[in-house]
Amino acid sequence: MTTTSGRSTAARVATALGLLVARVVPVMFGVVVAVFFLLRLVPGDPAAMILGDRATPESIAALRAELGLDQTLWNQFVAFLTQVVTQFDTGDSLVTGQSTRDMILAKAPVSLGIVLLAVLLAVLIAVPLALLAALRKDGWIDHVIRVLPTIGMGMPLFWIGLLLIILFAVELGWFPVGDVGTGPGEPLRSLFLPALAVALSMSPPLIRSLRTQLIEVLGADFVTTLRAARIPERRVVTRHVLRGAALPTFTLLSVNTAYLIGGTLVVEKVFGINGIGTLLFTSISNRDFPVVQGIALYCAVAVVLVTTLAGVLSALLDPRLRVAR
Amino acid sequence: MITSRLRQRPRLFAIAAAALSAALVLSACSGGSAPEPTESTDPVSGGTLVFGRTAAVNDLDLNQQITANNAFAIDKIFEPLVNFDENGEIIPWLAEYTENADGTEYVFMLREGLKFSDGTDVTPADVIFSLNRHLEVGGPLPLTAPIVSIEETAEREVTITLESAYTPFLSELSGFSNGIFPANFGGMEEGEFFRNPVGTGPFVVSEWDLTGDLVFVKNEHYWQEGKPYIDELVYKFVADDTQLRQQLGAGQLDAIDIVPAANAADVDEADETVLLQTPGWSTEQVFFNTQRKQFADENVRRAIAHAIDREGIAAATTFGTAEVANVLIPTNVAYSANGEGFDLAYDLEAAAEELAKSDYPDGFSITLMVPSGNSQRAQIAQIIQESLGQIGIDVTIESLDIAVFRERFREYDYDFMLNSGQLDSPDPNGFITFQADPEGFSKSYWTHYTDDRVTELMHEGRVTPEGAEREAIYFEIQQILAEQVPYIPLFFPANLKATTADVHDFVVLPNASVRFQDVWLSGE
Repeated sequence: MTTTSGRSTAARVATALGLLVARVVPVMFGVVVAVFFLLRLVPGDPAAMILGDRATPESIAALRAELGLDQTLWNQFVAFLTQVVTQFDTGDSLVTGQSTRDMILAKAPVSLGIVLLAVLLAVLIAVPLALLAALRKDGWIDHVIRVLPTIGMGMPLFWIGLLLIILFAVELGWFPVGDVGTGPGEPLRSLFLPALAVALSMSPPLIRSLRTQLIEVLGADFVTTLRAARIPERRVVTRHVLRGAALPTFTLLSVNTAYLIGGTLVVEKVFGINGIGTLLFTSISNRDFPVVQGIALYCAVAVVLVTTLAGVLSALLDPRLRVAR
Repeated sequence: MITSRLRQRPRLFAIAAAALSAALVLSACSGGSAPEPTESTDPVSGGTLVFGRTAAVNDLDLNQQITANNAFAIDKIFEPLVNFDENGEIIPWLAEYTENADGTEYVFMLREGLKFSDGTDVTPADVIFSLNRHLEVGGPLPLTAPIVSIEETAEREVTITLESAYTPFLSELSGFSNGIFPANFGGMEEGEFFRNPVGTGPFVVSEWDLTGDLVFVKNEHYWQEGKPYIDELVYKFVADDTQLRQQLGAGQLDAIDIVPAANAADVDEADETVLLQTPGWSTEQVFFNTQRKQFADENVRRAIAHAIDREGIAAATTFGTAEVANVLIPTNVAYSANGEGFDLAYDLEAAAEELAKSDYPDGFSITLMVPSGNSQRAQIAQIIQESLGQIGIDVTIESLDIAVFRERFREYDYDFMLNSGQLDSPDPNGFITFQADPEGFSKSYWTHYTDDRVTELMHEGRVTPEGAEREAIYFEIQQILAEQVPYIPLFFPANLKATTADVHDFVVLPNASVRFQDVWLSGE
């Protein structure tokens, strides 16, 4: 099948993918290189961290040699790049000796689970509230919905998390206080409160943005026309208004999601979850270079994937974004 | 209307009466027939104990480790010939022992029927291999005794000969780094062996996530009859100490490794948790870099010692859980002179006098280095800053990430710092050496302090047999250190751990390790 411009769909997709790769690879390369050199600029010796306060200078020197840290910076960089390109692995952990790729793949699911659940909950919180506020503009509901997120934005994530633990886990016992349980349904039950904490902290700007967009769209001519044509209000709102208003909020959501992928540290700590965030924190403290580099690469890849996916979904949402070539 | 209500009332009345009768019957049943459960003192076998810790286990090579996260997993797998109990007394463990008159020969007789966790017998060859490997590797806790030979001298008998008497020898041998393992690593390659270690200890590694949890199962061949009581021990990695307490309170954990002093009272008072507070083997101190001109001056150091209210600091920052330190050696260690009055008392006038005698009578500006992420040390630093301000010393607090903190003090790039010293085994020699030996790699815990009399006494203390003479030596060392204050001991932190009410005989050793083979769970 060809479009009016004469190029096949397959060719267009191939071009789009090619452009994507051309955009993405330099970004990831830049991130990984920057992290590599920045880590080594920061003071602190991985060998000394592994061996502790009372390690002798000889044992530290021996460990540095064993870990290849006594090589020149350039040699270390070349070895590192080779490994990234050929094995898609940033090296073995200086602390545990395990492959960084394996460590990340083992820890990523639980952190990604929090992110996905948080996004879902954020949408479930933000959309109804924003709709309600927009449809009842300047009513008392609208005022309440506008004030609550402002309070929410002032509350740090760890505080929200602790409150949720105290209420729903300690007092009511509906959820575990922390960690990820095993057994049927347990992982979901364990991740619910952390995801809710993130969602509650993410939703205030989403509610405000969506409310503003909805009010604008509700005042548009086409909505008046639809109502005049006696289309049911529910259909007007869900099928036409929401879709027309969603784009800026959707963009905001996807930016937040991308940021969240590497940013689950606080919620993991508060809820005792051993995910990528915890791994990142311990690796930075230990100066475990390969793992920090690996997580940086993982975050770069994740951000690219999320923004690309968001771009595709945006085009589906709003046909005006599907540029005909 | 009225008639329908009357018709309803009898029905309601009947329901209420029935409910009340049922309640009375039930309460009579439960109150009368079932007795209150009495505190059982006999250990019960079985169950899984989940122990929450804030660091994961990443290496089980016993000769190369010193940090607590690994050490206290290692000592569940490997055991030394002799050990120490919760009072710091040396006791026979894998072997009974005798010592000759001049302290140069120790004969160890291995217990009969002693086996490794894989069922093979423990032989003198294993002891020889293990100790020689430690001597070869050196490691952060090396065997410093002047060992000449380690030989099999009879069936189940190993004789260790020293070049000269070395009083701390058995104490050194009792450390976890001198655990016994199979000769030639049981036929495995060395790295492979330490990923699947075999020892005589009460537990065997079953599952191991190097950045997460470690699961032990009981060693079916353990030499202590009936022990360990628990079937499974899980070292659960929980990065945050608030989460540790919350999970303990909710019953997700059976015991936790750390209770911050600020939360000790709450944990103690809560119904579902039990606080365990035991004396430890560490000393929180202010260390002076004596290479700085201000701190090369003894009068300055003495002035600062007089200006610091150690009792106040211990009360405020440890919430009364720690004991005030008047000398370097903790009170539960042999030859501690804590009650001898050697310390420089809190006295601002005396502080001012000392400063007046120094080269800096008008005070000076200086920086106190502390590791970040430790709220207790942050508070101590602030109190010290405030205290020294009163005698004209203007302190800036520099709070650094732990890796940078370590790098700075190891390069002697600091003025003074807050840190702590720690014993790993009962004898004070190792501790004193680390803190006062100018020949040691740490150059007296990175203070660069040296005193010829202290050095002389240190050497004497190693060869003097236990008794009054040795006590006099260590007393004199502590007195000189207290007078010259290359470091100011502040307090001896307690070991603070917690368990649920179902955990019994949770024996905590002074080095903060837990004797898990003695622990049992009720309510299983």
